[in-house]
Amino acid sequence: MPSKKILIGAAAALMLLAAAYLATGAETGLVSDPASAAAPDTTGCIYPKEYMHSHHMQVLADWKEHAAHEGPDAVMTAPDGRRFQKDLATCLGCHSDNRQFCFSCHTYANVKPNCWNCHISPQDLP
Amino acid sequence: MNEERRTFMKKAGLGLMAGFGAAAIASSPLFERVAASAWAAAPKRPGTRWGMVIDTRRCREGCSACVDACRLSHNVPTFSDPRRRVEWIHREEGRALLGSACATQKLLPALCNHCEEPSCVRSCPTDSIFRRRDGIVAVDYHRCIGCRSCMLGCPYGEVSFNWSDPRPAITEPTPDYPTRQQGVVEKCNFCSDRLKRGLQPSCSSRCPEGAMTFGDLNDPDSAVRRLLASSDSMRRKPELGTEPKVYYII
Repeated sequence: MPSKKILIGAAAALMLLAAAYLATGAETGLVSDPASAAAPDTTGCIYPKEYMHSHHMQVLADWKEHAAHEGPDAVMTAPDGRRFQKDLATCLGCHSDNRQFCFSCHTYANVKPNCWNCHISPQDLP
Repeated sequence: MNEERRTFMKKAGLGLMAGFGAAAIASSPLFERVAASAWAAAPKRPGTRWGMVIDTRRCREGCSACVDACRLSHNVPTFSDPRRRVEWIHREEGRALLGSACATQKLLPALCNHCEEPSCVRSCPTDSIFRRRDGIVAVDYHRCIGCRSCMLGCPYGEVSFNWSDPRPAITEPTPDYPTRQQGVVEKCNFCSDRLKRGLQPSCSSRCPEGAMTFGDLNDPDSAVRRLLASSDSMRRKPELGTEPKVYYII
């Protein structure tokens, strides 16, 4: 009987901890000082490779919305504490090295996103 | 007797006219001295509020450095047809810009006023033109459906529409900034991309005479506030109540 109570207590504590973690803004922290937001962190991937494979459209849609509306305040804090300026330039800081980064997969899957109608594609650069 | 009465009436009439005239000039809303305390006493919105002061006394005849700098840094297309022209900043005669109280015949720079109460934002049905927390009125080109309501709503005519693909019309493309596509509006964004990197807007930084001053209107020590406190300034169509944030010193 006491073991059941302990289990319930542990579950409640876990839920509280999770709520506290979510409430601190794990996904989108609003930053007041623009100096820290100005420097894009390009040290590593923002999410695991597998997640980006399946969910890069959702991530890009979220970044697009925040970057356009909040400007310098649009900062993403990764679960490990690194902060990224939400900006296509942050993505391209690493991913423009491979000029086929978007295109090879999109050609294979026959999807035609309209990002590069306006944004300058790395392929268009001399 | 009659003659005396006649001259008295004449003089009294002249005096009355002069009095009314003086009162009209003194209370005229065309010129305004923005006292340093006026902003501090009742800041409408806290935080940064970007604004610009253009000292037209320094503006040189025939100079188009600000317009060229803007066109270059934001991939603004150059269409020859005047009805399809796309402009973020252009030059207009002082009288046409600021009304009959402005006597100058010089061409003055005119750009989006980034109004405190922007009518373009009210007219946008998709919320793609909006007022940012720092006072910049920005366009989210991803959301724009090209209905041109903002062009009708803007009393200053500072929103342009891309009637055709702008890319072939860009003379000197800059890879640092995106272009737009056919069917979206575009306008000045107070160089929010440069502000993010800690730089001044390209028009004010490229002005050879330093006539354009950019800064935070909420900061009492900023250069814009000092300029506004030191001289009389004018705004475009202040009677409409849109509260423009681009000031002209005549």
